[in-house]
Amino acid sequence: MSCDIFFAMAKGAILSADKSEVLQGTLDMMILKTLHVLGPLHGFGIARRIEQVSQDVLTLNEGTVYTSLLRLQQQGWIESEWGTSENNRRARFYSITGRGRTQLAVETENWERISGVIGRVLRLEAEK
Amino acid sequence: MKMISSIFRLVSRVRGLFGRKEADSEFDREMQMHLQLLTEQFIRQGMNPKDAWSAARRQFGNTTLLGQRHRESRTLLSFPNLFQDLRYGLRMLWKSPAFTVIAALTLALGIGATSAVFSLIQGVLLTPPPYQKPQQLMLIPSVRANGQKMKSPRGWAAQQWMEWNEKVGSFQGIAGYGWTFNFLVRNDGSQSMQGMEVSKEYFRVMGLKTALGHGFDDSDFGQGHVKSILLGYEFWQRAFGGDKQIIGKTVRISRWDSSPVVIGVMEPGVRFLPSPGAAKEPNYDVNATVDLWVPADPDPKNLKDPGWYVVGRLRDGITPQRGEQELAALTAREASAEKEFEGFSPQLEPLTDEMNRDGRRILLPLLGASALVLLIACGNAAALLLVRGLQRQQEYAVRIAMGMGRIGLLRQVLTEGLILAILGGTLGVGLAIFAVNLFKVIAGHAVPRLDGVTAGWASLGWGLGLALLAAFIAGAIPALRAFRLNPMEVLKDAGPKGTAGIGERRLLRGVAMLQISLTLALLVGAGLLIRTMVKIAEVSSGYNTSRILTMSVTEVQSQANWGPFHRHALERVAAIPGVQYAAFAWGVPLTGNNWPATLDIEGQPPAAKESDKIALPMRAATPDYFKLMGLPLIDGREFRSTDDNKAPNVAIVNQAFTHRYFPNGNSVGRKIWFGGRDKPGIQIVGEIANGRTDDLTQEPSPEVYLPLWQAQAFSKHLVVRTTADPRTVVVAVERELRAVDPTAAIENVKTLEQIRDESLASRTFAMHLLTGFSVLGSVLTLVGIYGVISLSVASRRRELAIRSAVGAQQKDIRRLIFGEGFRLVAGGVLGGIALAVVLSGVLRSFLFEVQPSDPATFIVVGALFVGVGLLACWAPVRRAGKVDPLEALRYE
Repeated sequence: MSCDIFFAMAKGAILSADKSEVLQGTLDMMILKTLHVLGPLHGFGIARRIEQVSQDVLTLNEGTVYTSLLRLQQQGWIESEWGTSENNRRARFYSITGRGRTQLAVETENWERISGVIGRVLRLEAEK
Repeated sequence: MKMISSIFRLVSRVRGLFGRKEADSEFDREMQMHLQLLTEQFIRQGMNPKDAWSAARRQFGNTTLLGQRHRESRTLLSFPNLFQDLRYGLRMLWKSPAFTVIAALTLALGIGATSAVFSLIQGVLLTPPPYQKPQQLMLIPSVRANGQKMKSPRGWAAQQWMEWNEKVGSFQGIAGYGWTFNFLVRNDGSQSMQGMEVSKEYFRVMGLKTALGHGFDDSDFGQGHVKSILLGYEFWQRAFGGDKQIIGKTVRISRWDSSPVVIGVMEPGVRFLPSPGAAKEPNYDVNATVDLWVPADPDPKNLKDPGWYVVGRLRDGITPQRGEQELAALTAREASAEKEFEGFSPQLEPLTDEMNRDGRRILLPLLGASALVLLIACGNAAALLLVRGLQRQQEYAVRIAMGMGRIGLLRQVLTEGLILAILGGTLGVGLAIFAVNLFKVIAGHAVPRLDGVTAGWASLGWGLGLALLAAFIAGAIPALRAFRLNPMEVLKDAGPKGTAGIGERRLLRGVAMLQISLTLALLVGAGLLIRTMVKIAEVSSGYNTSRILTMSVTEVQSQANWGPFHRHALERVAAIPGVQYAAFAWGVPLTGNNWPATLDIEGQPPAAKESDKIALPMRAATPDYFKLMGLPLIDGREFRSTDDNKAPNVAIVNQAFTHRYFPNGNSVGRKIWFGGRDKPGIQIVGEIANGRTDDLTQEPSPEVYLPLWQAQAFSKHLVVRTTADPRTVVVAVERELRAVDPTAAIENVKTLEQIRDESLASRTFAMHLLTGFSVLGSVLTLVGIYGVISLSVASRRRELAIRSAVGAQQKDIRRLIFGEGFRLVAGGVLGGIALAVVLSGVLRSFLFEVQPSDPATFIVVGALFVGVGLLACWAPVRRAGKVDPLEALRYE
C-alpha cells in the first residue's frame, strides 16, 4: 500500500464523517426506488442498475450498497432471502416491504420539495 | 517524515489486529459473489483477469472495513471484537505499569470500602429472617390510645389477643410470646439461656421448622411444670456440641422444679422477637439467637395480666392498615367492656422494619459515605484515563483515519476502563473481605446481628458489581472525549504529549472540584462525630468508671440458698487482696439494666387509669454500692446490711427524683408504694447524687434504689472496685465465688470502662469508619488536585514562557497558577459545604450536643481543607515559576 492510498482513505473517512448523512440518505433512497421499480434484486444487480441510470455521473463505492442494505433492513423497509441468481449462483435477494414503499413516497416528496426550493434559489441567484 | 514512518509502524500493527478477525461467513459470501460478478463483467469488457480482479476490488471498496462496519452496525458487542479489545487493552495496560497500578489501587480503595459496607447491609438488612414470608409478619405493640408516649412498656392480656385470634379476619393467625431467662445447671459453672415462651399458635404463625426431633403439640401446653422444651440450633451446638442423642433426654434447669425433656432442635438462625418489658433485664439481647423455646399456655386465672407480646401473620393481600383498623375496632370494644384494658390500642409494625431499625440507622449513613469514597476514586480514575487518552490522541486519530468506527473506539476506551475496574474490583474484594472480618471483631456492639454476616460471596458479588459501575463512571468521560475526537485536527496539530486543551482542563477541574466537594462532605461528617465523641468524653457521668470490674453472677440452686450465697460471696470477694469494695447490684450503669415499675408517690395524685401511672426505673444494691461507684450521699443514710426482709422496706432516690416530685422539699422520710396505696409503703431513707446511668448522652432521670436484700434479684452483677487494674483480680474473684457454690453461673466479665465503650460502640464505629473514609477520600482528592494543576502547568508551558519573556516575574507566574489552584479548591470547598449541609442531617441520631450544621466544624474543616489543598498545588506552582522562556519556546 502506498502513501497515496493511505491519504485517500483518510480523506474518504473524513468526508464520510462530515457529509455522510446526505450521501447515505440519497443512496438509501435510490436503492429503495430501484427495488420498488424492478422488484427483488441482489446487491450486484442494484449496483449495476444505479450505475446504469446515473450514467457514470455518480461514482459508487459498491461496497457501501451493502451497508445501506443492512440499514434499510434494520429499519424494516426491505427484506431479504437467499435464492438462485440468473446464472445459477446462490445470492441474497432484497425486496421492498410495504413500510418501505410508504417511506419511499415520503422521501420522494421531501426530495422534490427541497430540490425544487434549492433550484428556485439558484435560479434567482443567476438572474441577478 | 519521521512522523509518517511512525504512523506506518502503527498502521501495520493496527492492520495486524484487524487481519486476524474471523469473517462473518454469510456476509463474506455475499461480498465475494459481488466481486466475482464484477470481475466477470470487466473480463467481458476486455480486461485481462488480473486487472479485472483489482479493478473490481477498487470499485467495490475496502472489504475488510466493510465487513467490520457490517458487524459493528449489526451488534454493539460482537464477541471477536470484545475479545480483541480485551487483549489489546491488557497489552496497553501492561506497557504502562505505573499508571495501571495507581489507577487500579485507586479504584480498589473505593470498591473495597463500598463493598465492605454492602456486605454488612447484605448480611444484616437484606438477609430475611428464617420465617416463611417474613413480610407478612406484624408485631402488635400496644400504644396509648390518646397518642401520648408510653411511660413503660406494656404487653397485652391473654384474654385480648386470644379474642383477636378468633375474630379478626385480616390475620392468618396471632400468637403470644414472652422472654424468659434461665440457666442450664452444671456442676462446673452453669450456663445462661435466653429463651422464648410461646403460645400454641407461635410456630404455625411464624412458619418455623425443627432441624431435629419435632415441635410442640397440644399436649405440651398446659398449666403446671414445663414438660418439654425445644433447643435453638446455635445453643445446641454451643452447649451440647451438636449431640444428636440429646433428643428425648432431660436437662436440669434452674428455678424449675422438674427437668424437662428436649423434644427437638430448631433450624439455625432464629432470633428473638422484641419483648420490651424485659428489655431492661441484664441478660436481654433481642439480636441474639434464641437458646430455648418453652411452651406457654395462658393461665385461666391471669387472663387480664398484660404480660404477653403479640405477633400476627396477615392474610395474603391484606395491608397492615386494614389489619390495624380491624384490630383497633375490636380492641376498643374490649376496652369498653373491661376497665383494665382501657387507654391502649394496637399499632402494627412490620417485623422486618423493627428488626432492621438499628442496623439501618448506622449502616445507611455509612453506605452513603462509602459511596462518596467510591465516587471520589472514580473521579481520579476518570482523570487518569482522560489524561492518558490525551497522550494517545495521535493513536486514536490514526485509528479513526484508518477506518476504525467511532463505536469501536468508544468500546476500546471503555474496555480499558473495564479492565482497570476488574483489576481494582478484585483487589477491592480482597480489601472488603479483610474489612468485613475486621468489622466483625471491632463492631460487634455497634451493628446488630453482625455475627450473622459472612465475608464471602456477598463481598465478591457486590465488589464486581461495583467494579462494573466504576468502569462505566470512570470510563465514560474519556470515552466520550475519544468519541468526539477530530482526527484531522489531531494529525495536523501533532502537539507535544501530555498537554490538554482548555476544554479538557475545564472538564478535569470540574471533576476535581466535585471530588473536593464530596471529600468535604465526608470530612464534615467525621468532624461532627469526632466533636460528639469529645463532648461525650467531657460529660461528667457522676460516678466512677475506672478500676471497676463487673460480672453477672447467679445462684442457680434454690430460693433458700439465695441469701447465704450472696452474703458469703460478698464477704469472700471483699477479702481478696487488692479489692477495695464489693457489692451486688441490679442496674449497673450503662448496661441498660434496670427494673421498670409503676408506683405511687406520696404527694402525687393517684392515677385514674392504668396508662397514667407513674413509671420509673428501679435499681437494687447492697450497702457498699454507692461508695464503690462514687455516688455521693446528699441526704439521709445509705443502705445497711440490716435492711433485709425482716426489717421495714426502705428506698434511696436520686436528686432528679427529689427535683421532680418534691421540688420544694425533701424526699427523705416520704413514702412510695408498689401495687397501690393500701399496701404497706416503702420509706425513702436517703438521697444520692445524680448519675448518667442509662446513657451518657441523656440527662439523669429520676431513679429509685432498693436494698438488694429486700428486693431479691435472680440474675445481677457483682461489682468490684480494685486498687489496681481490675482485670488482675478476675481469677481470684471467680475462685472465691466457686468456693461458695461451684454451680454458680459467672458470665459477662467486663470492666466498667468496657461497658462504657460498648454503650458508645455505634458512635465510635461510625466515627472510625467515617474518619477512615474521609482520610481515604482526602488522599485521593489531593492526588487529584495535584494532577490537575500539574497538567495545567504542563499545558500552559508556552503561555507561561511568553509571559515571562515579556516581563512577568516568577512571583507573577506563581500567583497565576496559585490562583487557579485556589479557585479550584475554594470552589470545591464551597460546594462541599453546601453538600454537607444537606447530608449531615443523616447523622443527627449519632450527634450529641453538636448540631448537624455546627458552624465550628464547617469552618475548621473547610479552612483545613483549603490549606491542605493549596499544599497539593505547591509543587506544580514552583515548577511553573521555573519555566525557562527560552527552553520552553524552543521546545515547542
